[in-house]
Amino acid sequence: MALSPQELVDTLAGLSLFADLSRPQLEQVAHKMTEESYPVGQRILRQGFTGTGFYVILDGEVAVRIDGDERARLQKGDFFGEMSILLGEPPVADVVTTRQLHVLHLGGPELEGFLRDHPPIMYRMLKTVAMRLRNASQLRS
Amino acid sequence: MTSALGRVPLFEGVSEESMERLVAVTGEMEFEPGQFVVLQGQVGTGLYVIVGGSVRVVRGTEEIARLGPNDFFGELSVIDQMPRNASVQAIEPTRCLALASWDLLDLLESDAKLSLNLIRGLAARVRGQGELHHH
Repeated sequence: MALSPQELVDTLAGLSLFADLSRPQLEQVAHKMTEESYPVGQRILRQGFTGTGFYVILDGEVAVRIDGDERARLQKGDFFGEMSILLGEPPVADVVTTRQLHVLHLGGPELEGFLRDHPPIMYRMLKTVAMRLRNASQLRS
Repeated sequence: MTSALGRVPLFEGVSEESMERLVAVTGEMEFEPGQFVVLQGQVGTGLYVIVGGSVRVVRGTEEIARLGPNDFFGELSVIDQMPRNASVQAIEPTRCLALASWDLLDLLESDAKLSLNLIRGLAARVRGQGELHHH
């Protein structure tokens, strides 16, 4: 179910993480990242294990589970995997597909350079991480 | 002041040009023991880096953290422009470098390394919160 380059760029243009990018920049992103598909029930990130990547969801859904407890569901436009890459630590959650999943994947070692090349993506990511921190704080209080 | 900023992990690896801009827009503030640096519920206007002394971070009536030299706080409200989610109170005489929101946002746009450092700092806090949540 791979998309044509044209369709892929159109899809990316609709995701908030890439909202500030020009058409040529979206084409660069589409070129840099790899399209992948996973069936339902597949574990994509494994809690406590290294060997990761950065994933942006194009279609489908995943559950985020810590010690078996579901903490969140992520859908089209959401992304995951960046925290453990940036911190250089194993994932603290399992990420498991709950619907057939279509993602863009970037290898862990490439993420930092990718973000440096695309400051608007980094800034959007910064806002998302800030929001997660707020949500985590609210859970606690 | 450049050397004080250079020791702060948040500014590690940031270009010399950005550091010069940073120094030009950074102010120094002193706080007495018991004095509040930021108040929960207020809209944030800046980020603070502790040069000397120590502070407690309080949410509601609960102390959630203590911070000391080279630690920073206040960045969350700058990034998402929501009210402060905690108060910060000086424990002893404390000296901070203060960076206004608009200057920080300018720097974040122009210096990718600073954004990366900030994401790392935030990500580490999200993880820290998760761990606290388990207890």
